[in-house]
Amino acid sequence: MTDRVLIVDDHASFRSLARRLLVADGFDVVGEAGDAADAFDAVRSLAPDVVLLDIRLPDLDGFGVAEVLAGDEAAPVVVLVSSRARDDYGPRVDSSPARGFIAKDDLSGDALRRVLGDRP
Amino acid sequence: MTTRLVPVAAVLAGAAASVALVRGGYTVPAELVAPTLVLSLAVAWSFVGVGLVARRRRPDSRTGLLMVVFGFAWLARFVVAVDTTPAFVVGVLLGSVALSVFVQLLVTFPTGRTESAGQRVLVGIGWLLSVPLDAVFLAIGARRGRGDGPPPNGLVITPSGGEFRPDVVDLAVQAVVVVLLVSVLVSVWTRWRAAGAAARRALTPGLVGGTVVVATLLVERTAILLLLPPSAGVWLAWSAQVVLVVWPAALLLGLLRSRLDRSGIGRLVVELGGGPAVPERLRSVVARTLHDPSVELVHRRPGTDEFVDAAGERVEVGGRAVTFLEREGEPIAALLHDPALTAEPDLVEAVAAGAGLALENERLHAEVRHQLREVRASRARLVEAADGARRRVERDLHDGAQQRLVAVGLALRLARGRSSGEVDALLAEASDELTAALAELRELARGIYPPLLTDGGLGPALLSLAERAPLPVVLAAVPPERPPETVERTCYFVVSEALTNAAKHAAAAKVEVSVVPDGVGLRVEVVDDGVGGADADGSGLRGLADRVAALGGRLEVSSPSGRGTRVTASVPCG
Repeated sequence: MTDRVLIVDDHASFRSLARRLLVADGFDVVGEAGDAADAFDAVRSLAPDVVLLDIRLPDLDGFGVAEVLAGDEAAPVVVLVSSRARDDYGPRVDSSPARGFIAKDDLSGDALRRVLGDRP
Repeated sequence: MTTRLVPVAAVLAGAAASVALVRGGYTVPAELVAPTLVLSLAVAWSFVGVGLVARRRRPDSRTGLLMVVFGFAWLARFVVAVDTTPAFVVGVLLGSVALSVFVQLLVTFPTGRTESAGQRVLVGIGWLLSVPLDAVFLAIGARRGRGDGPPPNGLVITPSGGEFRPDVVDLAVQAVVVVLLVSVLVSVWTRWRAAGAAARRALTPGLVGGTVVVATLLVERTAILLLLPPSAGVWLAWSAQVVLVVWPAALLLGLLRSRLDRSGIGRLVVELGGGPAVPERLRSVVARTLHDPSVELVHRRPGTDEFVDAAGERVEVGGRAVTFLEREGEPIAALLHDPALTAEPDLVEAVAAGAGLALENERLHAEVRHQLREVRASRARLVEAADGARRRVERDLHDGAQQRLVAVGLALRLARGRSSGEVDALLAEASDELTAALAELRELARGIYPPLLTDGGLGPALLSLAERAPLPVVLAAVPPERPPETVERTCYFVVSEALTNAAKHAAAAKVEVSVVPDGVGLRVEVVDDGVGGADADGSGLRGLADRVAALGGRLEVSSPSGRGTRVTASVPCG
């Protein structure tokens, strides 16, 4: 089954490139959101399997969004992305309910699959 | 001129009173003539004489004038000893004046002026109850004490011989007088309690004397009620008069106490000369000399209207009584003091002159301390502003260049999926270059300002710093709780700079970092096992030392050649 992905990032250029990249790599990108509020709406209406979530958002940050989403029933898998390195967030990535972290410049279908791969 | 005539008038009035008593026509027991005259003249002349002195030494106070008036009123009572109806009327009225003046004197001491509504009411009642009331009694025909026997109006103190048969009017008058006297006592002691130490010094002698007189009168007036024998009443009446003789001296002492304080100024100069120049000392010596523990000494900052205390902190002038100390017409300092001292401008000035050099000294110190305070505050603001700027640069890099380069990288990756051969190889090369550029940019941004420090605190930020360092770093201790942000940033940059130095110059094999609470703040230690010989005045360490000092802390670098480098910073938390 093809994973249905929602991309959350405040940069439109990143969203559009990431969408094309993931679609080319065989994912089904069902929607995009530019901030946390839109992300919550989109998750509710689109029920994606995976949320590709930028950490720096204009309203709530990615860690906060992941916390909220994790509280939902049938919560989607959250994968954090950032143009910073994982190191720059210290222990925060590990302690968040997100499945994993991908540096934006490493993003590809394979990278996403590797993170999702250890899904039960 | 008139003042010179007053003693003469007092002597003449005394002589006239004596003649009136002896030749007035009433029967005066022979053994009482001398005591009555001696005591009455002593009271009157004491008040007139001391009143004149008080008037000359303290022309600003009306107390002296009131004392002179009381003295004459005391003698004028003797008109009543002349056995004629007009003399009786005049004598009774003048005798009442003495009581009113007495009340006014006691209530308004030491200024002689009514300063509150309560004082005005008491003085007013004192005057209404005397002359007007007596005039009413006289008008309706009261002639009590006229005729045979001793002169009326209690002029000569004799036992009433058990024939005390008071009528209702008598009792009412006595009750009113008792209430008035009690009110006077309550009023003066309330004033005493509310007064500051300096004001109390002026009030106490007069009030103690006045209280003794009034209390004696009270007991005498209520002797019957207190079931005291008539002889006790007589004894009390005599005692009251004896106290009245010395009371003027007590009043004068209160009025002139500040003059006596002048003698303390010599001691002030000696004391100021012989001790350490600590800020509180000048104030406490001045407070002691002025007998006002609440004195505050503030200094004007040159060229401004601001005043600062000895520690350099700003003080608002105007809430309390204030005396400005001037030099060449310009205020240089101000004493905030008890309002009672406002009546002593020359005393305050003399103290200021006595304190002269010490004052100038302290003024300069206060100015320096004030400037130091400002410099410290502005230095802390500079550090704060610089940190803010670094943070913005990091954010701008992240939001701008980094994002665009990331987008370029993704586009290259997309392009590679649709290319082949030489183009693909070129795209792969470009992609690698871009990855390297992004990594460098990230490192640069992190060096400018580590986002983890704000988000995660000192522990995670130092851990990340240690992990990325090009040499082994042992993070021995970090504080369990987050310190204030400025402290956190300062500790971080100390470690960061010391690690950079250890990696670049020290050829160290390992570094140990610890940040531990030290009571007032945090103590940062970075110890390496390198070659030592680090220059504490090198630009990196110098800048760090300034940064630590801006928070009131200290940075020490110990780097003996060949034995490693130890950078220690103590950063106080607020």
